[in-house]
Amino acid sequence: MMPDPSPVAVWGWFVVAALLMGAELAAPGAFMLWLGLAAAATGIVHLFVAMDWPYALLLFAVLGVAFAWLGRRLAARADADAADQPFLNRRAAALVGQAFTLAEPIVGGEGRIRIGDTVWHVSGADAPAGTRVRVMRIDGGRLVVE
Amino acid sequence: MSTIALNASTAIVAIAIVLLIFLMKMVKTVPQGYNYTIERFRRYAYTIQPGLNIVPPLFHRVGVRMNMMEQVLDVPTQEIITRDNATVAVDGVAFYQVIDAPRAAYEVANLNSAIMNLLMTNIRTVMGSMDLDQLLSHRDEINTRLLTVVDAAAISWGIKITRVEIKDIVPPADLIASMGRQMKAEREKRAVILEAEGQRQSEILKAEGQKQSQVLEAEGRKEAAFRDAEARERSAQAEAAATLVVSEALSRGNVAALNYFIADKYVKAMQAIASAPNQKVVVLPMEATALIGSLAGIGEIAKATFGEAAVQARRGGSGVPHVDTRQS
Repeated sequence: MMPDPSPVAVWGWFVVAALLMGAELAAPGAFMLWLGLAAAATGIVHLFVAMDWPYALLLFAVLGVAFAWLGRRLAARADADAADQPFLNRRAAALVGQAFTLAEPIVGGEGRIRIGDTVWHVSGADAPAGTRVRVMRIDGGRLVVE
Repeated sequence: MSTIALNASTAIVAIAIVLLIFLMKMVKTVPQGYNYTIERFRRYAYTIQPGLNIVPPLFHRVGVRMNMMEQVLDVPTQEIITRDNATVAVDGVAFYQVIDAPRAAYEVANLNSAIMNLLMTNIRTVMGSMDLDQLLSHRDEINTRLLTVVDAAAISWGIKITRVEIKDIVPPADLIASMGRQMKAEREKRAVILEAEGQRQSEILKAEGQKQSQVLEAEGRKEAAFRDAEARERSAQAEAAATLVVSEALSRGNVAALNYFIADKYVKAMQAIASAPNQKVVVLPMEATALIGSLAGIGEIAKATFGEAAVQARRGGSGVPHVDTRQS
C-alpha cells in the first residue's frame, strides 16, 4: 500500500469533523461530538503523518472511543461541580442527614414521620414519639434513621 | 481493487468499524428526570443517572427507562356505599414518585395499574367505614388515612405515594335535595329564634322603662309631699311666730290696739259686702248691735282718755267681748 499523500484524504477528515459537529449541534446527544473531535484530531495527525486510509479510519475509531471516555470523565467532574440542584428527582436522597421529630413511636423497627405534607416510613431502633431522629440513608422507599 | 483482499487493511477497517459501533453503543445519555437500569446478561446490574454515561457495550443493555418525576394518577369515579348505606360517587387523584428505580422496574409488573387498584380498593375501605356526614366533612382525615395505607403498601415497590386527594364526593340527587332542605330549615329555625329573642328583649326593655318611669313618678310625688309637709310646717311655724309676736306685743302694749284692728277689719268686710255688684240684699246673720257694740273699743279709748266714770255712766252692755285691761 502506498501512502496516500493526497490532500483530499486529509481535508476529507476535516469535512467529516465539521459534518459530525454540525449534526451534534442540530441534535444534541453528546455522541456525535466525540466522533467529530476524533475526526478533527485524525485530520490534524494526517497533516503531519502520512498514512493509509484504513489506518486513518482505525485511528479515528480509537480516538473516538478515547474522547468519549475523556468526555465522560469531564462530565462527571462537571456534575460534581454543578451543585445547583443536586437532589433533582432524588427526593429521598435530599432527606439524608436531616433531623426530624417522630410523631408516632417506632415500634418493632417500623414507624412513620411526617415531612412536608406527606408521610415517610422509617425503620430504625425503637423510640418513643417526640424523639429527634436523623436520616442516615435510604432503603428502597424507607428512610433508615438513628 | 476488484476483489476484497483479505489483508491487513481489511482487518483494520473491520476493527475500526467495530470500534465505531462500540462507541455508538457505549455512550448513553440519560435525560434529566429518568433513570435507566442496566442489565448484564439480562440480569439487573446497576442504575445509571441522568447525564453522560459510558456503559460497557458487551453483555450490557438498558433494561427499563424509569421516569423519576412525580406523576399524577387520576382515580376514576366509582360508586361507594357508606356505613349509613348512602351510595356516593367518588373520584380522586394521587401523586407518586419513583424513589428506587430498580425496585419499581422489577418488583412489580405494570406499576400504574397496581397503584390504581390499590387506591381504588382502599378508597372503598376507608369510605365504607364512615357515615356520609363524616365523609363530607372529614376529607383531610380520609386523605391522610388513604395516604398512610397506600404508601405502606407501595413501599416495597420502591415508590413513594406523596399524596392522595379525594376530588369529588357526589351523593345522589334526592339526598342533596333533602340536605338542602335540612339546611334551609336549620336557618329558618335560627331566624325565628332570633326574632323571638328580639321580641322578648324589647318587651323586657319596655317594661323596664315603664317601671323606671313609675318609680321616678312616685319618687317625685313623695318628694313633693315631703316638701308640702315642710311648707305646712313652715307656715304653721310662721303663724306661731306671728301669734307669738302679736301676743308679745299685746302683753307689752294695750289691748285696745287689737280691738282697733278688729274693728277696722269688720268695717272693711262690711264695705266689701255692701259694694259687691251682684248683691242687692245684704243679710247680716249677726247682731248689728254687736258691730255697733264694737265701738266699745272706741269707748275704751275714750275711757282711757276721759276717765272711767264718764264712760261707765253711759254704758249699757255690748256684744263685743269685753277685754279687761285694767292693771291692778
